[in-house]
Amino acid sequence: MLKIDDLRVSLEEEEKQIIKGLSLSINPGEVHAIMGPNGSGKSTLSSVLAGKDGYIVDSGTVKYDGSDLLETEVEKRAALGVFMAFQYPIEIPGVGNMNFLRTALNSQRKTRGQEELNAADFLKLVRSIAKDLEISDEMMKRPVNVGASGGEKKRNEILQMCLLEPKFVILDETDSGLDVDAMKLVSKGVNSFSSSSRSFLVITHYQRLLNYIVPDFVHIMVDGRIVKTGDKSLALHVEETGYKNFLQLGKEKH
Amino acid sequence: MNYVNTSDWYNSLRREFEISGLGIEKVSRRSEYWRKSNLDIVSDFSQDNSQIDLTNLKGTSLHEPDLIVHGDILESVTERNYQVLNIMDVIADEKSFAKDFFGRLEKKSQNIVPRPLARDNTLNPKVGYVFSLSDSFNKPLVIHNKTDTSVSGSFQRNLIVIKEDVEATIIETGNNLSVFNEVTEIYLEKNAKLNYLDLTGENNVSPKIAHKFCDMAENSSFNHFGLRLNTKATRSEIELHLNGKGISTSIANVCILNKKHHYSDENVLINHNAPECKSRQVFKSIIENDSTSIVRGKIYVASEAQKTDGYQSSRSLLLSENSKFFCKPELEIYADDVICSHGSTSSSLDRESLFYLLSRGVHKNKAKEMLAVAFISEALEEIEDESIKSALSNYLDVWISSFFHE
Ligand SMILES: Nc1ncnc2c1ncn2[C@@H]1O[C@H](COP(=O)(O)OP(=O)(O)OP(=O)(O)O)[C@@H](O)[C@H]1O
Ligand SMILES: [Mg+2]
Repeated sequence: MLKIDDLRVSLEEEEKQIIKGLSLSINPGEVHAIMGPNGSGKSTLSSVLAGKDGYIVDSGTVKYDGSDLLETEVEKRAALGVFMAFQYPIEIPGVGNMNFLRTALNSQRKTRGQEELNAADFLKLVRSIAKDLEISDEMMKRPVNVGASGGEKKRNEILQMCLLEPKFVILDETDSGLDVDAMKLVSKGVNSFSSSSRSFLVITHYQRLLNYIVPDFVHIMVDGRIVKTGDKSLALHVEETGYKNFLQLGKEKH
Repeated sequence: MNYVNTSDWYNSLRREFEISGLGIEKVSRRSEYWRKSNLDIVSDFSQDNSQIDLTNLKGTSLHEPDLIVHGDILESVTERNYQVLNIMDVIADEKSFAKDFFGRLEKKSQNIVPRPLARDNTLNPKVGYVFSLSDSFNKPLVIHNKTDTSVSGSFQRNLIVIKEDVEATIIETGNNLSVFNEVTEIYLEKNAKLNYLDLTGENNVSPKIAHKFCDMAENSSFNHFGLRLNTKATRSEIELHLNGKGISTSIANVCILNKKHHYSDENVLINHNAPECKSRQVFKSIIENDSTSIVRGKIYVASEAQKTDGYQSSRSLLLSENSKFFCKPELEIYADDVICSHGSTSSSLDRESLFYLLSRGVHKNKAKEMLAVAFISEALEEIEDESIKSALSNYLDVWISSFFHE
């Protein structure tokens, strides 16, 4: 599904390489977790995959379902099924949540050559998802994320995911800022959504989340590279000992 | 000198105004009120008299005219329970109620800002409506403007008096390229309320200056919404006198320009002369392609106007590097217990917001359009009447969408 090969990415504004030769392969149905110290480049990787500007790809390739992801327009990537839940979802005053969701869904459908969803069907769909995630009607009527708490914003991200039904999902610290109940709710949402054809890349600092969303692989990312890959027990190991053993690995690879 | 078909009161007023008018500073680059402006407004009368209507408003409540100003002719279309007079009849009528009102606000408006073109208007009215309202109307009065190709450079003069406790909404639509200079004097008595939506001037290629002067008594309210869609050289001057306690007023403006060398020039002066009054000014401009939006908004607070609450916000969305936004917010405050704030910003489309929308699959032009629509929403929110607001908001959605899909 996704194949990243020796990717190197720098910032556009300053000459600073953030992703320094990262390779990763994700097959359909797999859940991959990435853990790593602050500033190691996890969000940068997600942003590059989602298509945010401000980065220069120095070398390497990213193939998504066989096509060159890095050459694909942001909105096209979304229509092809790439979805990133933002670490810090932004507020967009003046753009109503419902209008935004409906436009997003129908834009994607249009790009894929599918028929647009009518207002009634859309409403039914979005209401049932909101109900599962315990997002209030009042929240849905507001402008996108305006006045939402940190946890509410994260829940909105999951709502968007469930509505847009992507094939490849990046969760960038979706668990940060969630209380225990919200985390269960979100995990439930993700789990009910997962299938043999969907893949997840879950970025987190906490092993806790991985009890709910069980990963097939856990990668440790240090200084722009994956320095260790293991199964879910690797996350437990990190929880106990921190990253200090891995920092050394990052240096050795230079 | 005698004027054919004019009353004695108008003739003597005219003589007085003509003489005192000599002292009014002329329009020039040197005047601080015109420095960045398009001086075509005073010099260029060349007209492309193609008749352009706000056709898209057809079918909404915003497009069923009650009154039409066609060139220099005033036509009443609907039956109403109040009389709408033509200014030319009014200044000919010795006994007209208007003699206590006509020219007074124009004269007062010269105190702080020189307004030579308003003076010209007082001396040369050609068309305009006059009415005094003693009952509220339940439906907005829609005034439609139309060009008459045989008339040009004409002056329009209007006078509106709203009596105690009366509420009214006026919607002005269309384009009358025959008129280049307009003055409207408005008097609001105690508890009177006027909502005025100036939706004229869409795609107006001719220079046009419109003045609105308003005298407000205790607890009255004046809400003005202005729309400037690709106006070539339009200037608006609004001056309010808040003369009694508890007055509230809102001046909102949406300006969208994407044609080369197009100008919109908004000038507002709010005189807080009495305590406990509230004024709001919200300007939103979306500009592209070497066009210019100018906003000069001033709040004046006299020493007796304690507990004044004055708010002003002017924001522009610049869609190309050569588009220009000039903003001159001013506060002149002589009272000590007041809250007055003003803010002004200029920026391009927010990259983070744009990315957020794109990353959810929204097409690029649609995403820009959504952000532009969101940008002007604060100004639209100033409109109280929900049905007018939504009709206008739908109209602007279509307009803005064409902006991004050209
Ligand atoms: N636009 C930018 N401008 C400047 N520095 C940036 C920018 N984007 C990323 N960086 C830098 O790149 C590095 C990696 O940042 P990134 O956000 O990818 O880390 P992260 O692994 O997601 O960290 P965290 O765990 O704190 O979320 C950091 O040193 C960060 O300061
Ligand atoms: Mg991060």
